[in-house]
Amino acid sequence: MRGYVAKRLLIALVTLVGMSMVIFSLMRLAPGNIVDVIFESAGYVDQADKRLLERELGVDRPIPVQYARWIGELLQGDLGKSYRYDMRAWTIIKPRLPVTLELAGLALLFSIVLGVPAGVVSAARQNRPIDYVLRVLSLAGLSMPSFWLGMVIILLFVRSLGWMPSVTYVSPFEDLRANLWQFVVPALAVGYRSSALIMRITRSAMLEVMREDYIRTARAKGVWTRLIMRRHALRNAMLPVVTVIGLEFAFLIGGLVVTEQVFNINGIGKLFVDATARGDFNLIQGLVLLIATIFVLVNLVVDLLYGWLDPRIRLR
Amino acid sequence: MPLRRSVRLAPLALLLVIAVSLPVPAQTPKSGGVLRTHPLSAPPSLSPHEESTIATVQPASACYNNLIYFDPAKKQEGEGTIIPELAERWSWQDGHRNLVFLLRKNVKWHDGKPFTSQDVKYTFDAVRGAPDAAAKLRVNPRKLWYDNVEHIETPDPHTVVFRLKRPQPSLLLMLASGYSPVYPAHVPLADLKTKCVGTGPFKLKEYRPGEFVELERNPDYFVKGRPYLDGVKWVIVKDRSTQIAALQAGQLDVAGSGWNKANWETAKSGKPDLVTIEASSNVNVNVLVNFKKPPMTDPRVRQAVNLALDRKAYQAGPALGAATFGGAMLPRPAGVWGLPEAEVAKLPGMGDAAKQKTQAKKLLADAGFGASNPLKLTVSTRAIAIYVDPASWMVDQLRQIGVDAVLEQIETGVWHPKMTRLDFQVALNLTGIGIDDPDANFFENFKCGSQRNFSGYCSEDIDRLMVQQSQTLDRAARLKLVNEIDRRLQHEGARPVLGWGKQFYAHWPYVKAFPLHDNSIYNTSRYQDVWLDK
Repeated sequence: MRGYVAKRLLIALVTLVGMSMVIFSLMRLAPGNIVDVIFESAGYVDQADKRLLERELGVDRPIPVQYARWIGELLQGDLGKSYRYDMRAWTIIKPRLPVTLELAGLALLFSIVLGVPAGVVSAARQNRPIDYVLRVLSLAGLSMPSFWLGMVIILLFVRSLGWMPSVTYVSPFEDLRANLWQFVVPALAVGYRSSALIMRITRSAMLEVMREDYIRTARAKGVWTRLIMRRHALRNAMLPVVTVIGLEFAFLIGGLVVTEQVFNINGIGKLFVDATARGDFNLIQGLVLLIATIFVLVNLVVDLLYGWLDPRIRLR
Repeated sequence: MPLRRSVRLAPLALLLVIAVSLPVPAQTPKSGGVLRTHPLSAPPSLSPHEESTIATVQPASACYNNLIYFDPAKKQEGEGTIIPELAERWSWQDGHRNLVFLLRKNVKWHDGKPFTSQDVKYTFDAVRGAPDAAAKLRVNPRKLWYDNVEHIETPDPHTVVFRLKRPQPSLLLMLASGYSPVYPAHVPLADLKTKCVGTGPFKLKEYRPGEFVELERNPDYFVKGRPYLDGVKWVIVKDRSTQIAALQAGQLDVAGSGWNKANWETAKSGKPDLVTIEASSNVNVNVLVNFKKPPMTDPRVRQAVNLALDRKAYQAGPALGAATFGGAMLPRPAGVWGLPEAEVAKLPGMGDAAKQKTQAKKLLADAGFGASNPLKLTVSTRAIAIYVDPASWMVDQLRQIGVDAVLEQIETGVWHPKMTRLDFQVALNLTGIGIDDPDANFFENFKCGSQRNFSGYCSEDIDRLMVQQSQTLDRAARLKLVNEIDRRLQHEGARPVLGWGKQFYAHWPYVKAFPLHDNSIYNTSRYQDVWLDK
């Protein structure tokens, strides 16, 4: 097990290095120049000042040299400087990380709490009215963009109650109640879509497992249906569900761009889009690296969970 | 009996009439509360001298002071509405060649250090890029404003003298702009991008890039009894629908920076209690015609493009009914220097649309373009909705005269480099003018070789007239010259203006003395007189 984890971490490191090379080169091949971006806010480009600034920032040097410098800073725990904000990239990313983690965590919690039981019920009551209702609801969840749902919820709240979630971040350590109010609505909007996906995966996995011989044997032995579902069917059906949950969590870290914008939640996704629009290379590189690291770690956790859920899987 | 009762009630009725006709006494301002509002977008930094966006000026203004400032309470800015700030008094000397400021004493920076004339010299030497300046701005958008300043002297800690190469009355207005705060000489310029050390009514409490800028009352502010507010919180809310919802839900007290009329009406329809304010903006939507690149080097083609753009259709279409028409200077009555209304009505694009399009087709035919050989034009614009909407409309208008026009959307980071290189045929652009004065507009946008003369238009004769108007002290004579320049710019199709935009703000009734000016968006955010009736 330890060997397996070490091997996976090594592979993860190689993946991250490769990814950093790709993103670093792509950013520099894209049209525009970091110094142009700085001048953008001035509304013109002064060629003489531009050359001076290029030298000052070291962007006039060959790309491999710039990359080596960036990696050197990274090894010292420095993601580089945001050219747009003239601040260390980590200083900008750091306060946004708990915001996104909270939103993603809550959304995932909602999606699991709603999706898994709904999938089990739907499978247990296959082709009955409750199954149809749940399938229609899940299809609706997959079809509706979460930002649109969020906007509708906001309008409903504002029109009927004259209230909407706070547009500035409230830390749970300052005011837990206000913090929860701020995140519950967007988490529900996002969680609904994820729960629909989880429900459908759970349902199909359950249906497959319920056709297995050992389930039939358990039924023949007269084991209580609920016990069969919980102890024999659900655990074995969880492998694809856990995979989807893991992928969804990783997606939620960087993919909630529009939802964050609609609810004015200053998370990682919104920052990513702003940084890309402004060509803030160091910030983008830092964010990609962060999201990639989360993806890799979540995948590792999912793999480890496989072994726990199904002892037949040996991690080597 | 009824008559007697009427007679008895007569004094009461008289009292009532008098009471109603008496002017309502002004409310006594109350202290306290935090004003919550939103900037146009996320400020790239907190240093107004290094930026060209109102998103920086909005939150930073309340932190700083100028030598002089435009009176927030007067809607139209001009020389007559300038009020003292760090300068107690000022006077022109030596035939408007020297501008002398006598500074306030006992003013302190937010970090407790004393304010002196050295701070003024330090700031404006940096801004004008003086060879012996103590500091250099990394990006210096308004260097041109102070091109005429030869030297800044500080005979004592409370006197500053701006020595000019030639008389320039508009220097006062430039110094009164939101883009001209005085910086502390003891704080490095780079630090002022992320923190704010000013003398202003509010101190920086917290700045989170892309999230908010929070300011708190400066208890040592040199204007006694000001500010009324305990603080101002600029919350960055990117989405306009969210801005409207946040205002309606009471999470913002004021909203509207960057709004169009439709946003304003939506906000008001949801909450009829909201107070709505409309004002001109001194921001125009203009067409950049590349004077250096064929086929736009042909005056007939330039004229055809100008005539094809039906200004009334622009107003009804992308401007959503909220635009005014004029030349290079903000039209009257909101503006001070605009062309007379009768002349504006005769500008290209203002007449009968069908006739003008026929005329445009004829001009193109004369230039060798027709159905068998259509003029191919790429209309470039910035990939932002407020640019793309009028640019799409422009493409349609050009197609109506047989031009094979296509739209090119350019990413923001590439936009200004491309414009500076004149790497386009025609482009649609938005220009905000910092102050309503010809010097702030003409030299920057039309002078030969200016960094921001994005059309490459160049006329030595116009340059000469620009300098002449700039040093003309008699206002009527200056207006005459300014109108003459504007007339010629319009005739030559140098950067035709489609329309001048408007501002649409909304706030809750408890917000009092919220300032909005008609001829600039940049000079109102000090907020020292704003108060909340709560």
